[in-house]
Amino acid sequence: MPAIKKAKSNISYGGGAIVSSDVKSYANDPVIVKKNEEAGIAVSKLTLPGTKKQ
Amino acid sequence: MNLPHYNYLTSDFQAYEFYSEGPKGQIKKVVTFSRIRDYPPTYNLTLVDVNPISGLTSDLAISDNGDRDIILATVAYTVKDFSAHYGNHYIYAEGSTPVRTRLYQMSIAGLLEEISIDFDVYGVIEDIAYPFQKNVNYDAFLVKRK
Repeated sequence: MPAIKKAKSNISYGGGAIVSSDVKSYANDPVIVKKNEEAGIAVSKLTLPGTKKQ
Repeated sequence: MNLPHYNYLTSDFQAYEFYSEGPKGQIKKVVTFSRIRDYPPTYNLTLVDVNPISGLTSDLAISDNGDRDIILATVAYTVKDFSAHYGNHYIYAEGSTPVRTRLYQMSIAGLLEEISIDFDVYGVIEDIAYPFQKNVNYDAFLVKRK
C-alpha cells in the first residue's frame, strides 16, 4: 500500500501568531511608507466616534 | 471570534506574514501596523503582496485567489494580536483603490457578527467615523479591540 503523505494545513482556527525571527521589518518599505503617509493625512482630518466634527 | 484563517508569522507583532492559497498558487501577504497619530493613538493597517521573485511589495496586485474572506479573517486575527501587545488603539484601514475598499466592505459585512465579538467596527464617510452598517458604502474603516 502506498504511503500517504498528509500535507500540513495552512488554515487554523482561533488565532495566535507564530513567532519567527525570519519575519523582517517593513518599517522602511517604500510602498508601506507611502501608504502610511497618505493614511496619516486622512486620519488627521478624521472625526472619531463619539466626538463632534470640528 | 472563531474564523478559519491562515497561519501567520511575526517577529515583533507589528509586521505579519502569511501565504494565501488558491487557484493561483501561494501568494505571500504582509500585514503591517504603523503609528500615524499620537492622540488618540491611531495605527495604519496595510496589507500588501510580496513578489516572489523581486521581493518587492505591492498594494495594487490582484491576487484573485478565491480566498478573500480567509484573508480578511487572518487580518482580523493580526489586529487581535497587535492589540494584545500594543494596546487597544484605533486602527485605520483603507483599500488601495475604491474597488478594493468596496471588497473589504463586503467582507467585513459578511463577517460582521463574528468580528463584532472582539472589535468595534466603524466606517468612514467624508472624514467622519460611524458605527459600521451593512449596505452602506464607506471610504475607509476604523476598528478598535473591545
